[in-house]
Amino acid sequence: MTADDVSAAVGRRGKRTLRTRDLGDALTAPAGVVLFLLVWTAVASRLPPSRLVSPWAVAIDLWNNFLRSPRMAVFGLGETGYGELLLYTARNVLIGFAVGSAIGIIIGIASARFRLLRIIIDPIVLVLGTVPVLVAAPLFLLWFGVVPFTQVLLVAGYSAIMMEIFSQAAADNVDPVYEKSAMTRGASWYQRLRFILIPGVAPEILGGLRITLASAWGLETFAEILGAPSGIGQAIKTLTNVNNVAGMLACVSLVAIVAIAADMLLVVTNRHITRWA
Amino acid sequence: MDARPNAMTKAIVVRNLCVDFTRDDGGRVRALNNVSVAIAQGEFICVVGRSGHGKTTLLNVIGGLLGRYEGEVYALGKKVTGPGIDRGVIFQRDAVFPWMRVEDNVAFGLRVAGIPKSERARIAREHLDMVGLGDVKRAWPRELSGGMRARVAVAGVFASDPPILLADEPFGALDYVTRRQLQEVLFQLWQRTQKTVLFVTHDVDEALRLGSRVIVISNGAIVEDQHVDLPPPRTDDDLATPRSLELKHLLLRHIGLE
Repeated sequence: MTADDVSAAVGRRGKRTLRTRDLGDALTAPAGVVLFLLVWTAVASRLPPSRLVSPWAVAIDLWNNFLRSPRMAVFGLGETGYGELLLYTARNVLIGFAVGSAIGIIIGIASARFRLLRIIIDPIVLVLGTVPVLVAAPLFLLWFGVVPFTQVLLVAGYSAIMMEIFSQAAADNVDPVYEKSAMTRGASWYQRLRFILIPGVAPEILGGLRITLASAWGLETFAEILGAPSGIGQAIKTLTNVNNVAGMLACVSLVAIVAIAADMLLVVTNRHITRWA
Repeated sequence: MDARPNAMTKAIVVRNLCVDFTRDDGGRVRALNNVSVAIAQGEFICVVGRSGHGKTTLLNVIGGLLGRYEGEVYALGKKVTGPGIDRGVIFQRDAVFPWMRVEDNVAFGLRVAGIPKSERARIAREHLDMVGLGDVKRAWPRELSGGMRARVAVAGVFASDPPILLADEPFGALDYVTRRQLQEVLFQLWQRTQKTVLFVTHDVDEALRLGSRVIVISNGAIVEDQHVDLPPPRTDDDLATPRSLELKHLLLRHIGLE
């Protein structure tokens, strides 16, 4: 039997291919960013600064206003800079995303295994999921006021809905043969949940978390634009009012950078958890 | 066949088993009709028959994976009400957990039973060696071939050491050579452990090679129950003897092929 040889060879070849591919990806990714910046610069050079500014001008605005931005004080956002406003946004996103996703994952998995819960939950999720954020956000403002809780609740609500759908589908997709096999080997309900269901749903749920987190940044920023005591969305709204294109793009870039960093963190976690896949 | 077998002395006793399934249109299909069979401890019994005639249903009922049935089913003297560690199952489909390394797959039953880590690692290693996979214990299942994963499944069930082993066409999807190798592995493990084995297959040659007894299920009923009076282990030559061919023709006739 050459099982060991075959497996060892497959393992070695797999690792080598992965490393080569990772290196290729690492070199290609910055090239894409550079290409984007070049196109942006070229387009900006043909447009007036009131329409579009160069990436360089955006970087300068970001540098000058990151820690303290006199403009923000003028427009009622206090002695603050982009950094502090971003912290407010990031905190709301992370709290809303964490709480909402946890609720969504628990309900999604439970509803995939308990028919009665599914019958009750599915129509509710369907109805809530079809409510546009343009409708929900002003309503939340009306109900809860211009406080951080309003934005957190909006992010948590949409995260819960999205993750419920992803988690239910993920649990449905776990092949029943694994749970049957675990049962015949003496696994209790809790052991099947821990050793079979949770690892089985992990790849799909982690993919869903990436999409939900990416959406959460947009939701939070939008909710802040509508009305919030602080946050990068409020800065964008303020800068839009004075037609400060460099400032607006600086704020958008800042959110994008943090969102990408958070996504990369999820990707790394995903790769580690689902290294078996 | 013993119509009233003693549930306390037999490994498996099935009496007047009937199983019905409901179709999507609301109609009912009888999958098993008044099936009675008794399997002695240490017996290697093969169940053959055409697809959809009730082989897997019988195995699922004995394995406790099918709750609704009429009749009586006992395993080691206890009424079957659900799955249990006294009945290990090798499934038709690949049931090796992809998220566990090979040795963790094999040791899964021991882990859920609360066996200490070092002890279960030793047992897993021992069983992986038995099936010829000692050197890939740290591999992920995706790194293995279909035949190797089938070996992992066999090792996992034997590592849990259930007195009864139920196998549902476990090698059906494998190529001929790998299937023959795995038949040999399973047969050797059975000879070593003397477990009671109920082996479902659609392959009459496989049944005659492995089984000490072969039953034929057709249209949900047992239509033949034959003791295979050929000494094991059975080689290709053994399966070409007049007695063996006679048995094969008999079984094929009951399956409906001759």
